[in-house]
Amino acid sequence: MIDNPFSFLFSCLFVLAAHGAMLFNVFYNGNYESTNQVILLAAAVLGLDIFYYIAMLFFKQRTFTVDFMLILILNMSVIFQSCFGGVHLSVKHFITCIAALISCRIGYNLTRDHRWICSKKPYIWSGIGILMIVILTLTGSRSMWIDLGFMTIQPSEFIKPLLVLACATSVTEQQDKHKVLCFNIVWENIILFGIFAVICLLQWWCRDLGSIPTFTAIYGAGVLLRICYPKAKFSKKTLAVAGIAVGILAVIAIKLAPEYVRDRLFVDIWNDTSGNGYQQSQALIAIADGGWFGKGPGKGFLCDVFAHESDIVFATISEEWGLLFAVMVTLMLLILVALPLINPPRSYYHGTMCAGVCAAFTIQMALNVFGSCNMIPFTGVTIPFISMGGSSMVTSGFMIGMIVASQSPVFKKPKPKKKKKPVPVQTQRGNQS
Amino acid sequence: MKSIKRCQHIITLFLLIFIAGMTALVVKINKEASFYMMNSNKHMLGMVYDRNGDVLFDGMGIGEYEDNYFIDVGNLIGDDKGQMENTLVARNIEKLNNYSFSEGLVREGGKASIHTTLDHYANRQVFNAYMGTKGCTVAYNYKTGEILVCTSIPSLDVTKGYANIADFESGTLISKAMYGTVPGSTQKVSTVITALEIMGVDKLFSKTYNCTGSYINKNGDSIDCHFASGHGMQNIQQAIENSCNPYFAQLVADPDMPLDKIEKVYSKLGYSLNGAEPTYIDIDGIECETASTVLTDTDDFNTQWGCIGQSATLVSPVQLMMWQSAIANGTGVMTMPYLISMSKNVYGDVTELGETSYSEQIFSEETAVTVKQMLLTNGANHYGVSIGGYSVGVKSGTAQVKEGLEENSLLVGFLDDERHPIAFCIMIENKFNTPVTTEQIATVLLNSLCK
Repeated sequence: MIDNPFSFLFSCLFVLAAHGAMLFNVFYNGNYESTNQVILLAAAVLGLDIFYYIAMLFFKQRTFTVDFMLILILNMSVIFQSCFGGVHLSVKHFITCIAALISCRIGYNLTRDHRWICSKKPYIWSGIGILMIVILTLTGSRSMWIDLGFMTIQPSEFIKPLLVLACATSVTEQQDKHKVLCFNIVWENIILFGIFAVICLLQWWCRDLGSIPTFTAIYGAGVLLRICYPKAKFSKKTLAVAGIAVGILAVIAIKLAPEYVRDRLFVDIWNDTSGNGYQQSQALIAIADGGWFGKGPGKGFLCDVFAHESDIVFATISEEWGLLFAVMVTLMLLILVALPLINPPRSYYHGTMCAGVCAAFTIQMALNVFGSCNMIPFTGVTIPFISMGGSSMVTSGFMIGMIVASQSPVFKKPKPKKKKKPVPVQTQRGNQS
Repeated sequence: MKSIKRCQHIITLFLLIFIAGMTALVVKINKEASFYMMNSNKHMLGMVYDRNGDVLFDGMGIGEYEDNYFIDVGNLIGDDKGQMENTLVARNIEKLNNYSFSEGLVREGGKASIHTTLDHYANRQVFNAYMGTKGCTVAYNYKTGEILVCTSIPSLDVTKGYANIADFESGTLISKAMYGTVPGSTQKVSTVITALEIMGVDKLFSKTYNCTGSYINKNGDSIDCHFASGHGMQNIQQAIENSCNPYFAQLVADPDMPLDKIEKVYSKLGYSLNGAEPTYIDIDGIECETASTVLTDTDDFNTQWGCIGQSATLVSPVQLMMWQSAIANGTGVMTMPYLISMSKNVYGDVTELGETSYSEQIFSEETAVTVKQMLLTNGANHYGVSIGGYSVGVKSGTAQVKEGLEENSLLVGFLDDERHPIAFCIMIENKFNTPVTTEQIATVLLNSLCK
């Protein structure tokens, strides 16, 4: 069942030890009223660890590295989220983490066979279209949320993995060129551009401009891998033209952006600490207050600031656990999406899929971390797996499933054609006899 | 395989960009963490000392001090309560905070401190010499730029807090030396410098004008002399010693003093002209106003009156003192004043040392030497006795304020002594209501600093 049981066991113990050390820190340095809260948190985290190890034994995979990284990061985020403002198990976040693990399995199963998923492109495009219609019809007035009463859903999040799948391409697809006038056109590339443009317009309409860079990164990675295939090198001219076009579009976008967006782009946070600069200034103060090693789990003040568990979660972790720990967590997320560098994808389709996932993750992390620390405009997007948010968790889990799939793909052999029964050859001599 | 490598290159590109950003972020936070903390309400301030190690501000609250011990520097050194913004502590609170990113806030044993160039003893002597009269005095070493005395009355003892802030007198929370005031006849020094720059020494000294007690300009406006019967025919040396308004009005109206050239020299001296954006001198973060005036027409009353030191002309005492340095040094280059000689971080390591710096040349050496001699002559002839026998170059002034209801008395000058190169500006408000004179303050000042 497991190729290398020793390595598997070691990885299990490593993840358990890491979570154990964090829980130990919560017990000794944390801010809690009753030890029961710590015990409950420990039971949830370690229980989920052990359950997932057992579950993994039933999966047939070449490698489990991504799975171990995923459970490590997810339960770390459970510990973080459960400590903000005092130790108490964050049940909501715990459930969304389980949902992310399930979503990862679904993503893995759907994408491990590249031929099959490639043949479903029209369904992927349709899925994006349906989500757009849902956004237009079911969300509030120019909003991005569907309020179900007991929970809210952000449908635009679900477009991200679908766009990654739409951007992923195989060698065969790129060779399917059609001559139109004097151009060799791949119809799928034209469709993809249309989808991307409509997504951007929809995000603009929904006032969810923070997600546009993520979609742009996914599309950009996809386009780069399309225009450079099969034999063409990275054409400097093409890249320069694309760069200039993006620059011009960015300038136009800033010019046309609503006033509240421009205020955010150019705000001097230290001159507006109670207005547009409130969250960032508080976040930076919290990071400074936390120092390298933090004030202790549950001992921060940032938990009183709006969106401390999502948009400025990097600062909240820094304050309570220290900048060193917060940086380490982001690096672990980087390692998660960097695994295709160590264990290369088995097909070009999976390779382009991994690039899309990497683009989505790094850009989202950059927008969140650098935005909350005032290095770039504050957008209010989430850090995958670390920030609170069910829609983000599920889609991030699905995308990590794609990376798992790229590491343990399935290459179904084409069914052999039925062989006709050989007709007995009658020799001349036989006839003669 | 080659095509899959291409995918890996794209992944590597995204990762590298993010890692570069994270590196920049960590460096930025490490560098600016102290600033972030200063924008919170969490401080653990250190001490501020004078040049001899005497405490000027106790951020830790560990010492015991007699009543009003800090009052002479209250509105210059300030505190962290947010009531005074343009003070040494408020503008350098980051340097004074016992905080480091590694250690966090150090509540006990932090060694963050600022060592100033001030002489607390001299400052207190000068403050006491005012005997409650409002005004200010600023003095510095015109060779090095170290501010030695800077006191402003009324002031406050910051240790007593702001519970009775409503009862504070106007001007209590600011150091008046940093703000523009009507310079009166001390402005004539600028006009002499301007005339010398435009005409040269020989031509200016050849100019004589008659003072009959008042001068009617081309527009029919009258500029009166403080000496009603008039000074008669005078040259520039006599006019500056007599502080004769009609002489200077005629000098400004002289065809050899074209407006554009006056504006050029005034601009070089640092004046904001005709409503232009005001400029500031940065003294370790403290903003100090420079000078401003209106120059429209050399035959116009307001222009002539402005060049004599009234009308719309405003100059800060610090700026008046700095011009004295350019004269006293004989270079036409101002020595820039500074207050912080050294600052130490939470571990007691020196993080900053004060350095002497200079302005660009604002007038020629020849002008500087000439004006220096003129002021020394004025000092020797009129102030030799009243300012304790010191060899000083000075110019006094009387400034009409509050629409002529009150008059302020000013004295700018320098001590011509290699061992004690001190330039100063002294101002006393509403001079008719006080027995204190600028000469008395100057004597106390120089006695304290040359002790």
